[in-house]
Amino acid sequence: MALFIVRRLIGLVAVLFAITVLVFLIFFATPGVDPTRSLAGRNPTPETIAAVRHQFGLDRSKPMQYLLMMKRLFISRDLVSYGNQALLVVPAIASAAPVTFSLVFGAAVIWIVFSILTGLLAVILKGTIFDPLLMIFALIGISMPVFWLGEVLNLITQDRLHNTFLFSWVPPLGYVPLTQNPWQWFLHLVIPWISLSVLYIGFYARVLRANLLDVENEDYVRTARAKGLSERQVLVKHMLRTSMITFVSLFGLDFGILVGGGALLTEVVFGLPGVGQLTYRSLVSLDLPVIMATVIYGAFFITIASALIDVLYARLDPRIRPA
Amino acid sequence: MLRNRIALSALILFVVIVAVSFAAPLYAHHIAHTDPFASNITGTTVVGGKRVDVLQQGGGTLGIGVVPIGPTWHSNFFLGADNQGRDVAARVLYGGRASLEIGIGSAVLCCFIALILALVAGFFGRFSDTILSRLMDLIWAFPVYLLAISLATVLLTLPNGLQWGFIHVQPASLWVPTIIIALVYVPYVYRPVRGQVLSVREKEYVEAAVAQGASSLRLMFGEILPNVVTTVIVMLPLMIATTVLTEAALSFLSIGVQPPKASWGTIIDDGQALLYSRPWVAIAPGLMILLTVLSLNVLGDGVRDALDPRAKLRLKG
Amino acid sequence: MVRLKRSAMLWAMAVVVAVLATGCGGSSKSKGGTTTPTAAGGKGGTLITLANAAPAGSPDPQVNYTLQEWQWLILTHDGLVGYKRVSGPEGTKKVPDLATAIPKPTDNGKTWTFTLRSGIKFSNGNTVTANDVKATFERLFKIGNSPNAGSWYNVIVGGDACVKTPKTCDLSKGIVVNGDTITFHLTKGDPEFLDKLSVPFAYILPADTPAKNLNLPPAGTGPYKWVQYSPQKQMKIVRNPYFKEWSKDAQPDGLPDSIVQKFGLSVEAEVTQVENGQADWIANADSIPSDRLPELSSKYATQVHITPLTAVYYFAFNVRVPPFNNLKARQAVNYATDRNALVKLYGGTNVAVPTCQILPPNFPGYKPYCPYTVNPGSGKWTGPDMAKAKQLVQQSGTKGASVKVNSDTTEVDKAYGLYFIGLLNKLGYKASPQFLSNDIQYPFIQNSKNKVQFAYSSWFQDYPAASDFLDILLGCGSFHPNSNSSPNIAEFCNKPIQAKMDQAGAMGLTDPVGANNLWAQVDKEVTDQAPWVSMFNPKLLDFTSSRVKGFQFSPQWYFLLAQASVK
Repeated sequence: MALFIVRRLIGLVAVLFAITVLVFLIFFATPGVDPTRSLAGRNPTPETIAAVRHQFGLDRSKPMQYLLMMKRLFISRDLVSYGNQALLVVPAIASAAPVTFSLVFGAAVIWIVFSILTGLLAVILKGTIFDPLLMIFALIGISMPVFWLGEVLNLITQDRLHNTFLFSWVPPLGYVPLTQNPWQWFLHLVIPWISLSVLYIGFYARVLRANLLDVENEDYVRTARAKGLSERQVLVKHMLRTSMITFVSLFGLDFGILVGGGALLTEVVFGLPGVGQLTYRSLVSLDLPVIMATVIYGAFFITIASALIDVLYARLDPRIRPA
Repeated sequence: MLRNRIALSALILFVVIVAVSFAAPLYAHHIAHTDPFASNITGTTVVGGKRVDVLQQGGGTLGIGVVPIGPTWHSNFFLGADNQGRDVAARVLYGGRASLEIGIGSAVLCCFIALILALVAGFFGRFSDTILSRLMDLIWAFPVYLLAISLATVLLTLPNGLQWGFIHVQPASLWVPTIIIALVYVPYVYRPVRGQVLSVREKEYVEAAVAQGASSLRLMFGEILPNVVTTVIVMLPLMIATTVLTEAALSFLSIGVQPPKASWGTIIDDGQALLYSRPWVAIAPGLMILLTVLSLNVLGDGVRDALDPRAKLRLKG
Repeated sequence: MVRLKRSAMLWAMAVVVAVLATGCGGSSKSKGGTTTPTAAGGKGGTLITLANAAPAGSPDPQVNYTLQEWQWLILTHDGLVGYKRVSGPEGTKKVPDLATAIPKPTDNGKTWTFTLRSGIKFSNGNTVTANDVKATFERLFKIGNSPNAGSWYNVIVGGDACVKTPKTCDLSKGIVVNGDTITFHLTKGDPEFLDKLSVPFAYILPADTPAKNLNLPPAGTGPYKWVQYSPQKQMKIVRNPYFKEWSKDAQPDGLPDSIVQKFGLSVEAEVTQVENGQADWIANADSIPSDRLPELSSKYATQVHITPLTAVYYFAFNVRVPPFNNLKARQAVNYATDRNALVKLYGGTNVAVPTCQILPPNFPGYKPYCPYTVNPGSGKWTGPDMAKAKQLVQQSGTKGASVKVNSDTTEVDKAYGLYFIGLLNKLGYKASPQFLSNDIQYPFIQNSKNKVQFAYSSWFQDYPAASDFLDILLGCGSFHPNSNSSPNIAEFCNKPIQAKMDQAGAMGLTDPVGANNLWAQVDKEVTDQAPWVSMFNPKLLDFTSSRVKGFQFSPQWYFLLAQASVK
């Protein structure tokens, strides 16, 4: 096991290294982007351009530039955005992370609660018309583009029905830190939470339902029933507990992806200054230092999450050879 | 059975959407009488017997602003116009064509690549397996959007598009989003298929074939491929559902299909700018995506039930 | 050059003397707005403004070069002199600010002596001294990346040496301090020197400000001080407790207690917030989409303020690359362009006026001229002449050539590009889009290596002189082959016309009227050569919330934020 974990860690570092090199190469292969021009500001004299080029190490060889960037990112932590020099990359991510975390955490609570409820309900109502109906609703949730749902929710809550009693409580788009005003934090995030969680409610409810039906015929469930436990006890204590393994591992993966900046479109649509928004802006303006940092940040969470899941699976199911 | 009937209706819905999308030129020429790709800024149309501008000058006290005509619910400008004065209904149909071409194309391409890689990994032993797994980690964690943006920029700024040997990619080519999306989802398909390959390989009849001295190539195509192909077929509708959604997301960020070509994603992007004044421009293509993806998901469930009732492969949309 | 767009602001170039030397003189008439300061309300409250993104570049007051941040720096810092803080043409007048009076230069414009007002304090409590003034100008060089240090301020004796070796910059020969008097010695007479002192680069900072790029502007003398500058979230200024009004003209006290600008929303969401009263104003860097204007016009007319700008939106042909190295091909596109359609895309006839020429109306040297219309002669554009256009394309023999139409991915700029793709295809060319992300498009098209064929751009005046348009955008001196800063996007260089431009420039000092007549002729000749398709002259639209009272529009600084009341 220890060997397996060490191997995964080495793999993680290798993957991160490969990604940074690829990002670096892609950036310099893309024409039309000379970072010196933006760093030097408007109307620079040749002296200014040369000074800036030197100051940022852009006159060095490409491998040297790569090393310098990594040093400024990880060791001196003073890497600066090419677009706005007030944007220190490391603090920028540090201040964006809580926003993303707030969004993802709240959405996760909603999607866990509602997907479990929907999944259980579908199993309880199996054989009635409500089971397929619930599953169709779940599928509708999965089938909507997240950004489109967000836009439509904005249209309704910020404009069309904003002046009615239904949505007059909806605050303007944006973010208020939890430490500053917990109530406003909550209000600002309600609609984004709903928008982000719809997809996952549908997906998790379906997974849960399928798992519950899979374990229904297992021996221990039959035994529990034979012992005369109530249907509710069987469902919650025995079936649900077993089914949660897949559920939890999927959750780990999705949570990792989202915390790493995967909620990009939701953040853009709702104007939330999180890691996704930061990633989006840096990509659109081809701002290499920020791209690099957000990519590493995101890749870190994704790789860690998938490694953890592999470990989990390896423990649960010895047949799966760790690769 | 109810499930079968639901799956059948999903199939019918999907076929209708495909048919309608591919009949877009018929709608544009014979019903709407418009070219959905040409700017029509100063054009006019007839509504309720009166000739009106397609892009209407704003009134009010200041007389400023221009709004495209809203849904007429008639053959001309059924869903209204976009900010170029083009017929949204016709564009949604044409957009469906592009979205479906990209969605189906990239899903097929993706499954194909994943299948080949899984066979290689399952067959050529530990080393290639490890390398490929790391490669999948890499693709998994790599930012799709960066690849899409830089590739689009490179293609747009090179004089004649990219050229590798006989492959020639034009900047406006639908192949660009197709290939990018296909690459992104390779790990999704690769992982379960690889598992399948490994488990089939352990099966007795395969081991028997090895014992009889069968070549790896013959084994791969003769014994293992037919077994794992079912898995891939089960995944295909769900993969198309996923790729259609991804295409929409890329185009929404202006890095998928290039204008004046349209896909559902680009129309939502256009409609986003008109969201508060003409919401139908964004809502209509979104509904089309919803219907398409929904029908594919239901269909996917049906195919799985039919072909592979024990499969635990479930993808998210 | 004041460019409103964020993308462009990053990339302005223009080796201009005296940016913003004087304003456009366009009166800030507004049909429905409350432009007159008579409606001014009380003090207090927070003015909440919105912008999609933070001002580009560095926030350091001696480095930043965007109108978006300058609108704030004028409220937190002062120069020795400044522009009068009022709306209308008066706003281009220069008045003494930290100095007691505007001096008359001696020694042929080479020596300027200022006396510092006494008792003015920085927001950190220290009193402003003449040494702070000297240190400010030394810092301008020491910092290394102040954009105009080497082109504007090197006129101060010792400045050129400072440009070469910024670290050891010493201006003690160029700026002589004696008690409260400060004497500038220049290497040559400089009629624009006062203008250079009136912009934020030259605003006085405490002498102990470190000579490196700051991420929050340091203490200043204005009625506000900076407390936050977070490019992801917002910037914020609050009252400076040490401020006492010394000149209403130069630096009036502000009305709101604090001013913030929030970043990160789309302009569509911004409009909705101002409508809902959740925010007060949208920064000019974001332009309001035209489909929202009718709604503003019918429901919020009193909150809309429309001001004409001396600016032009255009597409430049590359006159060195086929097919538009052919004059007839360029003229054909000009004849075919339906400028009404383009005006419509921008927001309609009340916010933009079609044009065929380079210079904007109400500008020195402007004479209405438009050959590319049906029924030419009146100087006005009345309609496209498609027949003539097709005939010219035929004659040019360029039919069938492929053209890449370059624009950016902003909704409305994309729309202009799509219009021209349709038009060029109609004329028999094979047009395809080359729409680049906002931050990439401008540096891309002004890089002459890229051989852009047909590109969208726009130009806002720096100061009212014909050379600011003609010489900077279409002069031989502004075209540099294989360079990444070649502002002459058309790559247009016509020797006889250039000679006339040079002549007109020289005449400007002695015979302004004659010079302007000559510029009018240059404008006409350039227009005949058709290096551009000039589309229209835009008007600026400001949208404020219902609680904002006393909207004032300075030709220099646009909306005067601190003069608006939210109480």
